[in-house]
Amino acid sequence: MANARTRLRRGEGLAGWLFTAPVIVILGLFLLVPVLMAAWVSLSDWTGRGSPFAAGVNFIGVDNYREILGGGGLAERDFGISLKNNFWYVILVVPLQTIVALGLALLVNKRVLRGRGFFRTAFYFPSVTSSVAITVLWLFLFSGSGAVNAVLSWVGINGPDWFNDPAGIFHFGATSGPSALTSGTVLGVSWWDWLGGPSVAMTAFVILAVFTTGGTFMLLFLAALQNLSGEVQEAAEMDGANAAQRFFRVTLPQLRPTLFTVITLGLIGCWQVFDQIYTGTQGQPGKTTLTPAYLSYTSAFDSNEWGRGAAIAFILFAIIIVFTLVQRWVLAERKVSRRRMRWIEDARDASARIGGTR
Amino acid sequence: MKMSRWALVTVALGATVGLTACGSGFSSGAKQDDSKALTVLIGSSGDAETKAVKDAVATWSKDSGIKATVKAASDLKQELAQGFSSGKPADVFYLSTDALAGYASNGSLLAYGDDLKNKDDFYPVLQKSFTYDGKFYCAPKDFSTLQLIVNTDLWSQAGLTDADIPTTWDQLDAVAQKLTTGDRKGLVMSGEYARVGAFMAEAGGNLVNDENTEATADSEANLQALQYVQKNLQAGDFAFAKDVGAGWGGEAFGKQLGAMTIEGNWITGAMQNDFPDVKYKVVPLPEGPKGKGTLQFANCWGIAADSGNTKGAQSLVEALTAKDQQLAFSKAFGVMPSIQSAAEEWKSQNAPLVPFIEAADYAKTPPTVKGGADVVTDFNSQLASLKTGDPKTLLTSTQKNLEALFK
Amino acid sequence: MSAVIDRPGRRRGLRTRFGGGVVYLLLAALAVIYIFPFLIDVATSFKTEAEAASSPLSLIPQNWTTAAYERLFLHSDFPVWFRNTAVVTVFVTAGRVFFDSLAGYALARLRFRGRGVVFGALIAVMAVPNVVLLIPKFLVINQLGIFDSYVGLIVPLLVDAAGVFIMKNFFESIPVSVEEQARIDGAGTFRVFWSVVLPMARPALVTIIILSFQGSWNELAHFIVAAQDPQLTTLTKGVAQLASGQLSQGSQYPIKLAAGAIMTIPVAIMFFIFQRRIMNSSSGAVKE
Repeated sequence: MANARTRLRRGEGLAGWLFTAPVIVILGLFLLVPVLMAAWVSLSDWTGRGSPFAAGVNFIGVDNYREILGGGGLAERDFGISLKNNFWYVILVVPLQTIVALGLALLVNKRVLRGRGFFRTAFYFPSVTSSVAITVLWLFLFSGSGAVNAVLSWVGINGPDWFNDPAGIFHFGATSGPSALTSGTVLGVSWWDWLGGPSVAMTAFVILAVFTTGGTFMLLFLAALQNLSGEVQEAAEMDGANAAQRFFRVTLPQLRPTLFTVITLGLIGCWQVFDQIYTGTQGQPGKTTLTPAYLSYTSAFDSNEWGRGAAIAFILFAIIIVFTLVQRWVLAERKVSRRRMRWIEDARDASARIGGTR
Repeated sequence: MKMSRWALVTVALGATVGLTACGSGFSSGAKQDDSKALTVLIGSSGDAETKAVKDAVATWSKDSGIKATVKAASDLKQELAQGFSSGKPADVFYLSTDALAGYASNGSLLAYGDDLKNKDDFYPVLQKSFTYDGKFYCAPKDFSTLQLIVNTDLWSQAGLTDADIPTTWDQLDAVAQKLTTGDRKGLVMSGEYARVGAFMAEAGGNLVNDENTEATADSEANLQALQYVQKNLQAGDFAFAKDVGAGWGGEAFGKQLGAMTIEGNWITGAMQNDFPDVKYKVVPLPEGPKGKGTLQFANCWGIAADSGNTKGAQSLVEALTAKDQQLAFSKAFGVMPSIQSAAEEWKSQNAPLVPFIEAADYAKTPPTVKGGADVVTDFNSQLASLKTGDPKTLLTSTQKNLEALFK
Repeated sequence: MSAVIDRPGRRRGLRTRFGGGVVYLLLAALAVIYIFPFLIDVATSFKTEAEAASSPLSLIPQNWTTAAYERLFLHSDFPVWFRNTAVVTVFVTAGRVFFDSLAGYALARLRFRGRGVVFGALIAVMAVPNVVLLIPKFLVINQLGIFDSYVGLIVPLLVDAAGVFIMKNFFESIPVSVEEQARIDGAGTFRVFWSVVLPMARPALVTIIILSFQGSWNELAHFIVAAQDPQLTTLTKGVAQLASGQLSQGSQYPIKLAAGAIMTIPVAIMFFIFQRRIMNSSSGAVKE
């Protein structure tokens, strides 16, 4: 094989570079260069007039970062609020979507299931529609007199006006907290607010995320389930293990690599919520749906604080990396690292798939 | 059906090629050319406004021989920002008071206000709004003020007469209580500084001083105003629009979720289009502890420093702010002329709206300091929960945010 | 629609064990939750605004009206948005199919100095979150002078790292012998790729088409920063601005939902055409 290939290697070097050139040029221009340029902007006092490389633009070190992380002003508080909002979003969405996806996959995995294709289609369909269209629909379903509240009223629940309700769900209606919690602040946001959980409005976005991504990740779990070895399963069955035991002792451990992929992709996606906020609430009510991604955008394009906007983006980048690493460390097991290639392959496929519908 | 789809695609492909060729390079510096075509970027309230501006610009084009195109932005703020950073901004554009400082400070704007022949005809409060660093930057386009809007049918149903039009806060309390029935509130307004701020002005306060040089958010007057509004929210005779399921005060008023609202002169258009059956009347806001007070909002005709034809741009702006033109705009989309010489004629044409224009003498201006818009946004987000919140904390944090801007 | 959901559930529920019945009930309930919102979307788009607010759950409009669609197609820029999205999607999909497979082939088959570096760089690039690029992408597009043009809308989306990987994986999974025969017969590298390898890659290409179509049709952030001309507004941007009230006042749900429904149709058609392929693509693309 190797010999055969050597004979054919003439001119491959040039062809190789030619074939990859379009990809290298475009990704370089629109991925690598932008990142470097943003790095410069985040360290400069560029005010958004003309080129950031023009003569009048100065290097100001980490001033932009300092303002966001410890300036004590509105910039810090806004960032703190956005971080708090997105943090709760991640904390809720990632586990929920993973559980929902796994549950759906287990349900539709049975080979004898009638209408299997129909159910898979139904569960997957929300993930192919655009986040804009879904958000518009959500605004309607979750409006004060909307469908969701109509359904809730059947069981006697007087639903909230979802997208106009800034109350934190873990505050349980309390409007002010104990002074022990309200006096201390982190990033300009009091402990009381940090602990308050997502607002009712953000909760509606949490439900939206679980609804749309459940199907995507269901496919990943399905693929993994179909590759499971039937022998182990049968052996466990012979041993008299019941369904729950079989699932937790046999199936779940085998799904670990996929679980890892799903959680990683979930973390990466959830920290970047933008489309829904841009379309739906613009950070309202009471800034409780403000996310770092959206704040980065408005800082630059609406408030002309380009350096600050770029700095927020880089901090967000760092957060995503840290979360991914922590998650890897928590879920780590010797086997996982050996399966890294597999993970990469899973990840690349799925990340492409969910690209537009996060 | 199928054929036309394909025809569409073909046309679109052709268009792509055409547009590709147009992509011009990045340029900086502005060479002046008195015959260069102009672009005008506006943030339009609707088709009527777009058409009126287009017509006016076209007329000027014909007279001057300089070509000019009008573009209605879907997101003016963002498109301005992108324009300036791309080095090819629109030549002439709408600019709001809160955006002036940012663009003036980084040199994006041409300060041409002091060259205007009719400079002193503009209302002093408007001139002040568009002055940055001692320079009068741009010609005020028009302006709006807030007043009290009353649903006359509900008013008489509640047994109220013209004599009951409130002139003090206590009287406003009383009529709001009388007008509150069932789900309908006495007064519904948008829960934001740009409405609630009127009460602050009536109490003698505002977020900043009149010169826009100092933060005055935590003043006793502001506290008094917020406490007054809070008291009425808690009593249930005032409500914020969001809390009654309406997008803004005008919608709540039109849907009769509230018998009164506080809005600007733009409400006439909305009522005409969306709620033609609701009868209403504009009256001055009641006087607060410190007398009359309201807020004014304005846009100016900004001219880009990078424009290639500043002379033409100035001539266009002069045409657009001329008396007759402003009165024509007013007729088309309900704005108030920014020059004093047009006031009398406007009043006679718009008798029911007179309280709005008379407020020009005492109206206060929202913060124009750079970054002020962000502070107002933050103030608004806290104001939404004024009913249960603590006005003092709210004002203290806003004061802190504003002070940071004046440093 | 709901009849379709119920039928298999009931019939099997009688025949199979209790457990099976529960599974079907659960599945049916879930299917309703997943499908019902879309039915509401379509139904509401044919309602009047007042009815949309008063009976948000009903699937049959009392006063059937196509006012929302008339408004969209005759009195708004909606057709322009649709055209722009269609143009961008066609170019992006074609571009990705060609460039991704070209690069994927090179990385899978061609030996050239620096291949490892290119491969590593691609992995690194995939780790950069999209959102970080929002501001800088605008800056670059701007500096290149392609801001506010179709070029600026299309070119940055023309390749994607994930697609390159999918193609590389696929090419590695097919036997090398066919190409070798062609090479021995004297065909050049591009010819071998174009005439021999590419036709064999149909399943992977379908995956790329699906992903690119869906990705570019639903893209929002890039379109926001790449253009400002109303003539270059795409569906996602236009509808998002419609929804956030930048273009109008009041709630106007029928119009917004009609816009959402129409923009979903092409992706839905794509989805149903390639349904089998999508459902299997996750297992298909992960070749070990």
